[in-house]
Formats: sequence, C-alpha cells, structure tokens
Amino acid sequence: MSGKGHSATGSDRFEYLQTLVTEFQDTDSDEAKEQVLANLANFAYDPRNLEDLRTLQVTDLFLDMLTEENENFVEFGIGGLCNLSMDRECRDQILQSDAVPLVTGCLSSRREETVLSAITTLMNLTTAASRSQTTDTAVLQCMLRFSISQSPRLHNLASVFLQDCCTEEQVARAEAQMQGHHPTALGIPLPKD
Amino acid sequence: MAGFTNSSCWSTPEVYKHHEQQKICPSRPKYREGRRPKAVKVYTINLESRYLMLQGVPAIGVMTELIELSALYGAVEEYRVLDEYPAEQFTEVYLIKFQKLTSARAAKRHMDEKSFFGGLLHVCYAPEYETVEDTRLKLQDRRRYVNRTTQNKTKEQDPGDEECKKPMSLNTVATTARTSSGDDQRSSDASNKGETSSTSQGHYLGFPLLPLPPQEFLPYRHAPSYDQLYSYQANQCRTIPTEDKMGSLHNAINTKQQLAPNISSVPSSSGGDRGIVKRLSKNPPLAAPPRFVPRTTHLENRKRKIVETNKDSLFGFVDKNEILIGPKLPDRPKMDMADESLNITANMIRNTLKKVASVPEVKPTEKKTKSAKPRKRI
Repeated sequence: MSGKGHSATGSDRFEYLQTLVTEFQDTDSDEAKEQVLANLANFAYDPRNLEDLRTLQVTDLFLDMLTEENENFVEFGIGGLCNLSMDRECRDQILQSDAVPLVTGCLSSRREETVLSAITTLMNLTTAASRSQTTDTAVLQCMLRFSISQSPRLHNLASVFLQDCCTEEQVARAEAQMQGHHPTALGIPLPKD
Repeated sequence: MAGFTNSSCWSTPEVYKHHEQQKICPSRPKYREGRRPKAVKVYTINLESRYLMLQGVPAIGVMTELIELSALYGAVEEYRVLDEYPAEQFTEVYLIKFQKLTSARAAKRHMDEKSFFGGLLHVCYAPEYETVEDTRLKLQDRRRYVNRTTQNKTKEQDPGDEECKKPMSLNTVATTARTSSGDDQRSSDASNKGETSSTSQGHYLGFPLLPLPPQEFLPYRHAPSYDQLYSYQANQCRTIPTEDKMGSLHNAINTKQQLAPNISSVPSSSGGDRGIVKRLSKNPPLAAPPRFVPRTTHLENRKRKIVETNKDSLFGFVDKNEILIGPKLPDRPKMDMADESLNITANMIRNTLKKVASVPEVKPTEKKTKSAKPRKRI
C-alpha cells in the first residue's frame, strides 16, 4: 500500500510525486497514464501531500483530464479534484483556473463515480465569489433531477448540495422553471451505471 | 434489529459496481509498485462510508463472532444480515454500521480478503445505505479534518487556541491505486492539546526565545531546525508514533515554533502572512517534519545514539552551567523521556539538526526552480 510512497523526508516525497507527474507527461501509453493519474488522485486524498501537489500544479493536470475522451481519465481527474478541493488552498487554486464550467460538464457523464465526484467538487468549490457559477439554474435543475434518482448515493449528494449550497428561493425558482417539462427533455441524462 | 431507514428494504438491493473487486493491475513499472498488487482505482470520500458490507461469511451461525471481530476496530452501531443480497451458496452477507468512518476504514483494511471460519471475507464500503444526514456529516467531517491537518502542517505555532478535536484518521498515501484493501489508519492531532499550551508563552519579542524545558515527554522527539537567520530549534515537538496498520511506524508530528503568535494565528486565508510563516519554517534537507520514519531509520538512529552516549560518558558529566550564547537546546538531563533509548534517539536527532542548521540554505530555491519547469498541457 505504501511501498515507495513512504519516505523519511518531505523532499523525497515531493520528488516522488514529481516523478509521477513527469511520467504522466512523457509517456505515450494510455494505460500508464491511467495508473499514474489514479496514483496522483489517491495521493490527493492524503492532506500531507496537498502542498506538494499544489506546487506541482497537479490541479491543472486534473482539470485537463475533464475534457478527455477517455472516460477513465475523466473519472480519475474529477476524483483527484474532489480530493484536492477539500482543502481551502487547493480549492482557491482550482477556482483560479476557471474550473467551474469544466466540473459542471462532468455532471452529464455516464459514469456515476464521475458525477458523484463532480457534485462533491462543486460543493467544495462553492464560495461567496463562485456561488453564482456553481449554483446556476442549469446546475440546480440537474441536482433536482438527481435528488429523485433511484441511486441512493446520487440522491443523497444532490440533496445535500441543494440544502447546503443553495438558498430555498434559488431552488424554488429552478423548480418552477422545470414545471411542465418532461424530465428527459432537460438534456442532462441520468448516469447509467 | 435493523434500524435502517431504507425505504426499499423489501426490494432486492442492487449490486453496485463498487461492491465488486476489480482486477489487479499487472503492468506497473517497478518504481511505483506497491507492496501488494492492486487494481487501478481512485478513492474519494464518496466511496467510503461508516457502513461496511461483508460478503463471504460462512453460513454456519457465526454472526456473533463476526460482530465481535468487527467491534475490535471500533464501536458498531447496527448490524444485520442482508438476506436479500445475492450471495454465494452457503455464505451470508452482512451489513455493519460503525459509529465512525475511521473504524470502518480500519475494519475494512484488516478484514478484507481474510479468512473467517473457513470462508474468504470480502469487505467493501456500502455508502448507499447512508441517509442524507449521514452523507452530509461525512463530508463535513472530511473537510474539517483536511483543513485542520493542512493548517497544522504549515502553522508552526499552536498557541493552545485549538482545542483537541476529535482525532480522525485518514488514508495514508498509496503509491498505487488501492483496491478494497488499501486503507490505512493513523491517529493524528491527538497531540494538539495539553502540552503545547504550556510553552506558548512565547511572546514575540523580535528574537527567538530560549526553548522551555519540556514538561511532558513524548516518545519520539524531533526538532527540525529553522531558518538559518534564527538558527534555533523548535522547542516543542510532539510526536506520537502510531503504528499504522501497514506495520510501519510513522509519527504524527505537531511542531511548535516560537514565532510571533500573531503571525501564526492569522487565518489560513491570508496568503501573505502564511508565506512568511512557511518560509521561516522551511527547513532545507528536512523540509517538513517527517511523518513517516521507516523502522530501519529508527534502528539506525538508536544505534547511533548508543554510540554517541557512550562517547559522552567518557566525560562523565554534563555541564549544566555551561554558558551558551544564543538560543540553546534544553540540557540533556532536563529532558527525561523516561526511556533511555528515546533520549538517545532524540539527542541524536538534535545533533543532526544542529549540523543541518549550519548548512547554508540553498536547497529550497533549487527545489523551487525544479518544480517550475513548464508543464505540457495535454
């Protein structure tokens, strides 16, 4: 589990992370890219690595993945962002890169993990400044649909989003706009999984 | 006994993809192979849960034993057999709700892929059994924990204003992505309270204060040295070596530096001040307090310490009245860890740091330029 990741000093760990980033940039193999991406995303789960990951600008690396065709890339990338965005400084770094549209784009993925990570990331990215983006009408309507989904994880997360990140008026307004529309006509499909 | 408010409890539960074990990745290059072969998978907080699902339990009436085993890792709030979940012949599936996520993590780590009364357990998280409130609390706890940990890491002084928060464990670094059995647990931050307040009398006088003698001794003391300008060493370092479940010893370290309380009490959002704190606290070869110290290093340290103390004993005494100019370390006799080997280790570290402090601080700049190399945008 820890293998090479454990090191006695912070600089060793930093160098290891840097090696991973370098491999990701240099390799042609999609398979290797996926593995390294998953590694980095998992490293982002450990708060002790966050500073190093910020220095290496791994946030940009993850954001780049969100527009890839390869669904694994997207899933791991948004997973990494979900992990990173728990930390306030990482959150700020992510917001600086105009990330919100990229993240909301993931809400329409077929993969449930991707969507779940996107919802959590949006929650983390919601600040006073970014609120207008992260809780715009399209997003709220999407969340409203998710909140009635059969999938418990999806409807739980969407419910938390609606309750904690939005005002009641916002939700009501979005709901009103949805009246009379057939759910599938809204354009954002529910993930299949 | 089930208190689960699952509205569809009569319908067959779905077999979710995350319940299944994925195939192990066979093609990793050596430098990033972990100790155990794992699948390629990313863990986020959404995958984890206080609820665990245990499959493969032999249907021979061992429920009590199973729950007792689970309870070793933490309090179990609820449990039940999942009769409706598809199971292999002669096996049962259980759902166990732990009081804490950390317990669930530990239980999963230990019980997954282990033999139990002749059957092979497969343990996975079952977040779909959470309520909305469960999910909300989970996310809040996680956010709080991450921010607290990163604040502790960069803030060098902890002036006792942080009460001891509930220790939360986290997944330690995984060099390879983890399958179901990759989680770690470590207790952190339990060291926050108590002792740190006793030395926070460090008022900012424009120069570093002499470190106070420690009042309580903690097993593994590590004193990173700081900016050469100040060239003093942190007085209070608290480490609690916790053996993580992987068997290596790593330390949760909370180092205190006698900088201005007003600097370090600035909230983390003020970037400028934090930059100052960080710069002063950056330490060339030992950039951050080591969180992981492999056993071999411990053994080597101890060996070296024994050699050193033997050397010292030739002199036969320690001069308590020695006059030092500038910041000085606590005298050895005052520092009683109540354990000889620990004292030795600590002394050795202090000496190493003394040497380290005398090295000109060039490395960080080098490191920074290294990391600023242009990244290809894909």
